[in-house]
Amino acid sequence: MMRRQVPLLICFVAGIVMLSQNFIPPLTWVYQQALEWARIISAIALFIGLISLVRVHTMKLKRKAANYRYSYVTLFALCYMIIAGFLTKYGLFVKLHAGCDTGSAWEWIVTALEKALNFQEIFLNVQIPIQATMFSLLAFYIASAAFRAFKARTFEATLLLIAAMIVMLGRVPLGQMIPGVKEITVWILDVPNTAAKRGIMIGVGLGMASTSLKIMLGIERTYLGMKD
Amino acid sequence: MSLELFGTWLAALLTLCIFSFLYKDNPFYKFAEHLFVGVSAGYWLCYNYWNMVKPNLIDNLEAHNWEYLLPLILSAFMLMRLIPKVGWLSRWAIAFMIGSGAGLMIITYLQSNFLEQIKSTLVSLDPTGLPWYVVLNSFLIFVGVVSGLVYFFFSKAHTGVTGGVARVGVVFLMVCFGASFGYTVMARISLLIGRMYFLLHDWLGLV
Amino acid sequence: MTRRPHRFLRRAVLSLALPMLLFVLLVATGHAQSSAFDRPPAPVTNVALKDAPDDAGGAITISWTLSPDDAGGAMDVIGYDVRRSTSPDGPFQTVKSVPRGSSEAADETDLDSDVNYFYRVVVKDAKGEAPSVVAGPVQAKVQWFNLGRLNTLIATIIYITLLLYFIFHAKKGKKLFIRRLAGLDALDEAVGRATEMGKPILYVPGISQISDVATIASINILSGVARTVAEYNTRVIVPNYDPIVMTVAQEVVREGFLAAGKPDAYDEHDVFYVTTNQFAFVAAVDGIMVREKPATNLFIGMFFAESLILAETGASTGAIQIAGTDAVAQIPFFIAACDYTLIGEELYAASAYLSRAPLLLGSLKGQDWMKICLIGCIAVGVVTLLFGIESFRDFFETPLMIFRQ
Repeated sequence: MMRRQVPLLICFVAGIVMLSQNFIPPLTWVYQQALEWARIISAIALFIGLISLVRVHTMKLKRKAANYRYSYVTLFALCYMIIAGFLTKYGLFVKLHAGCDTGSAWEWIVTALEKALNFQEIFLNVQIPIQATMFSLLAFYIASAAFRAFKARTFEATLLLIAAMIVMLGRVPLGQMIPGVKEITVWILDVPNTAAKRGIMIGVGLGMASTSLKIMLGIERTYLGMKD
Repeated sequence: MSLELFGTWLAALLTLCIFSFLYKDNPFYKFAEHLFVGVSAGYWLCYNYWNMVKPNLIDNLEAHNWEYLLPLILSAFMLMRLIPKVGWLSRWAIAFMIGSGAGLMIITYLQSNFLEQIKSTLVSLDPTGLPWYVVLNSFLIFVGVVSGLVYFFFSKAHTGVTGGVARVGVVFLMVCFGASFGYTVMARISLLIGRMYFLLHDWLGLV
Repeated sequence: MTRRPHRFLRRAVLSLALPMLLFVLLVATGHAQSSAFDRPPAPVTNVALKDAPDDAGGAITISWTLSPDDAGGAMDVIGYDVRRSTSPDGPFQTVKSVPRGSSEAADETDLDSDVNYFYRVVVKDAKGEAPSVVAGPVQAKVQWFNLGRLNTLIATIIYITLLLYFIFHAKKGKKLFIRRLAGLDALDEAVGRATEMGKPILYVPGISQISDVATIASINILSGVARTVAEYNTRVIVPNYDPIVMTVAQEVVREGFLAAGKPDAYDEHDVFYVTTNQFAFVAAVDGIMVREKPATNLFIGMFFAESLILAETGASTGAIQIAGTDAVAQIPFFIAACDYTLIGEELYAASAYLSRAPLLLGSLKGQDWMKICLIGCIAVGVVTLLFGIESFRDFFETPLMIFRQ
């Protein structure tokens, strides 16, 4: 009962309220509130993620699984970021600085530590460049994917590839010099592309709304698990 | 070595570590990957604490906004997941999130993906008093939308007329996918150019 | 000699008088001009008050005709103050200030519903101000229904009715047909292949949250996959981007092993959290794909730009790949790099397809009927437009003005 009926009830009520706030202006505040609550729960749930991450890597270390040494890197980076993220906010370094004499060795150490634990700097110099580089790998993968489609030689893949080639050419200055390419690109984007996109969007809208309804009514309840 | 210079070197070396994956998996990539996972998970955790939990939950509770007890309770239930015996309590919090998401999506998607799509189809279909090619394009859009929808029919086999129309739908779909594929290529190449510029300009100072 | 000083004097007087005269003239006209600047600007006219529509109260819209000195006349208006009072006699307090050229403002400051409010709009220039006549009373009423969304409500009711009708119809045991979905038919084969090769299966449930319906659709498919995997004695690896999705995935996979009668074969460490960062997640999943070399990769749920990195890395390891997403922008990349792709709505049909549960199949039929309605609507729309009738099309436009009056 508490394990299955109550969640289904919560799901139904939350769904009905969120659905009706679209039509009943005095309820719009509920929308803001529910969104904020969901964000809070998500943020706190990160703790569960943290536990899982630490468990997976300590287990790899314990089992001495393949590549287990790299787990030290992850665990170290994780701890380092958490320490940096919390120490700097609590103004620890301000207190440390106040406690040591100007020009002393201590001050030098404190300054060095402060620089090394600068949360934002680590973010900028480690996370951002790796992120940008991972993203830029797409330039290579988009080429290899095109080649894969080319090799596939099915009707669908050929059609996809031809449309892709034309639109790609139509987007670069060199390709636009070929007569007709620019016009065909505009036509492809405006006519077949628009039409098909609408078809997909309408389908997705219907599928999503139907699944949402089934979730609210408890017909779709795999996420709750089968047993109590 | 100044901190800034150290930062640039670090960023450049990590960039190269990631690029090395294109050749094959190797220790440099493994190092960068594991570092990235740890740093990003830690960053996200701290970021969410300082930008969500602290201002939106703790500060509100400290200000005696008691309605925030509810998200607090639901969050606590969520954390019960870590204790096997009472783990089922987390379903309450999950049900709240799924239910409110579902209620919201029904209307949002019926409006944006259904009504508005019909409206824009009808707007682009207005056939009165326009040159023949505009009317022809409108007709093609009509055919594209309808055949696309027929492709997504589930309760009818794709044979006979339905099959034929669905086949036309597939043609439209593939041209559409090709178009967005081709449209994205340049955007992706410019990302690569951005990284190359960082290596050659910011790091090596060659350009 | 005697006339000389005289002429000199005359010249001197003249040369002095002329500038003097000019100076006097200048001062006089200058004075006249500055008195035009000193005059307060002409007040605004036609102040109209309206309760803002379709809201929970708490807002009133005030509009007026610009002062003749704004965009004309002395051209020295700097702005308008909207002042409010609960009595026509005042005192009036400024609730909103808008710059010159504005002829409308919304008052949203501390308005109570069912209270009469009076407004005057005061035009200001550098030297003074001029109030309009008092307008009012007006109330900021709570609207209990958003008329602007009436068409959405009608569409929702029609759709829900259709769905419920077919769901209940299915409940009565009518057999329902569903067309083939190649990507889902391939699931068994893909799991079988992994078993033969003694390799695991990788399942990525997208990078979105649990409140995203696409994630739920993915979880439904995972549930079926987990069961098959357990029956075949294979391993399924599920890396997660979101911790809540992870907890649900763990539950579902465990249930799958339980349903197959092999609860001991389930390893909780196979369903784990990686990180909530798009590209760090991808870097890690790429690592798994090249190191564990899963025989089958399933990418199902909500994906963004990372879709192609995943799919291409997976393809390079020679795995069978099945993808499914409703992210229109990512479908082309999955089609190019995967063996099978569930496109858009097919993702939502998967749950019914795999389970063959009558209720779920029934709702699919409802979806199809809604599509037929829609095709009908477009056809009727075209015909009515041919005859120059626009009201049918306007129904799909958001605010329905007829009901507003």
